[in-house]
Amino acid sequence: MVSSRALDNTRREFEVLALPHLDGLYAAALRLTKNPRDAEDLVQDSVLRAFRFFDKFERGTNIKAWLYKILTNTFINRYRRTTKERNIVEDERDSVQDRLVSRDAADVAEDPERAFFDRLLSDDVLRAIDAVPIDFRMAVILADLQDFSYKEIADILDVPVGTVMSRLFRGRRLLQKQLAEYATASGVLHAGEDDGSIRDGSIQLDAWKRKRGIS
Amino acid sequence: MTQGATSTTSFDCSDVERLLEPYLDGEFGDDDRASLESHLSACASCRDGAAKAMAFRSALRARLREAFAPGAPHTTAPDSLRHRISVALDAEVERPAAWWRRILSPLPVAAMAACVAGALVVFAGHRATDPLVEEAVRKHARDLPLELSTASIAPEVIPGMLASKLDFHPRPPTFRGDGVKLVGARLAQLRDWPAAYMRYETPRGGRFGLFIIDDPQRRVADEGHAVRAGPETIWVMNMRGYNVAVWRRNEIVYSLVSDLDEADLVRLVETAQPVER
Repeated sequence: MVSSRALDNTRREFEVLALPHLDGLYAAALRLTKNPRDAEDLVQDSVLRAFRFFDKFERGTNIKAWLYKILTNTFINRYRRTTKERNIVEDERDSVQDRLVSRDAADVAEDPERAFFDRLLSDDVLRAIDAVPIDFRMAVILADLQDFSYKEIADILDVPVGTVMSRLFRGRRLLQKQLAEYATASGVLHAGEDDGSIRDGSIQLDAWKRKRGIS
Repeated sequence: MTQGATSTTSFDCSDVERLLEPYLDGEFGDDDRASLESHLSACASCRDGAAKAMAFRSALRARLREAFAPGAPHTTAPDSLRHRISVALDAEVERPAAWWRRILSPLPVAAMAACVAGALVVFAGHRATDPLVEEAVRKHARDLPLELSTASIAPEVIPGMLASKLDFHPRPPTFRGDGVKLVGARLAQLRDWPAAYMRYETPRGGRFGLFIIDDPQRRVADEGHAVRAGPETIWVMNMRGYNVAVWRRNEIVYSLVSDLDEADLVRLVETAQPVER
């Protein structure tokens, strides 16, 4: 009887600490799994796991980082194998072009009209994140959506800080490239130009810039 | 440009390009930050690159925040999930498992229960605190680089520069009498609120951060305990070792995050007067 009351207390403590992070965990899970059903399963598994290991959680330390570590581990162990993901190696090539595109993107973003970002819908942003390969995507989600430091991300993903830095760098470049493609596609295509070359972001961007008179 | 690069000791242009991102992410310690900033102040090309990268970065982050604003289906745990979790936790609690007995066995049950109850009070207190204040403390503690530094920009033009990037005029107060000095400022985001962040130093080497947000609809709740500071009522609370004072002036809400003790903090706020425009 007594023990079940104490267990209730543990549960209450857990709920007070962990449940405020549920929305964030779900949003992250959705970007990892790319579909709501898997995201719900992933969050439920992770939260339950966290509850079972709650005695291992050092009170007073960062519960948010601890929960995201469990989430990403659960994802990597269980879901990643079944989720269709492009291989990272496939995207490692062509970094020079990425760099050029991202510079273009940065230039376009400097546009006083902020045309680049104004063209993007929230759905474009979600699609762009989802298009980034998983290891880079995890780094971007943790840094830019969840505001973790490099050190915290290194702990969560169990990789060195240097790896976090390079994944983040690369992930953000790929994200920019995707966003530039969407922004350009909506700019050029909506204006009725040829849509034959949509796969190549840099060509699209050039076309769009010419059209807008940006050299 | 190249001259600038050679005149600095530890960072050259290629370092800057490579390390700009961690720098902008606030990952640099004081020394590295100072070295990089001294390179930036000497090298127009890198400075230009850094300014562009900073502009792009804040626009991108703002767009991300917008795309991930709370309340959308993709940022809100569905009720079905909350329900499933609650049912699953019920099942865990009803079926005391080995892990649970392990925790309990070394301690007298009553002591353990008291412990847990004590912890609950503390945590519940934390939870009651405005998430905005929590984020202000976190952002202040992360010590992000300042976009506008009084090393290169006159302090009196900084509010205007911030106002041009925000939808409101931040109107920072002037802290009089204690030799408090503005170090610099940056644009910030507290949850979905665009904010101005100003960092100050006190003569004894202390420092504090001031977040300024626009709250015409009075969404910010009064938290902590009320203290009179001159004509103002301010709300004081402690979070993660920082004392925080929150006060309102018309539509503007100020959150001051400091490592001062409460008496000094209140005195400091008392010295703050509205800026006449």
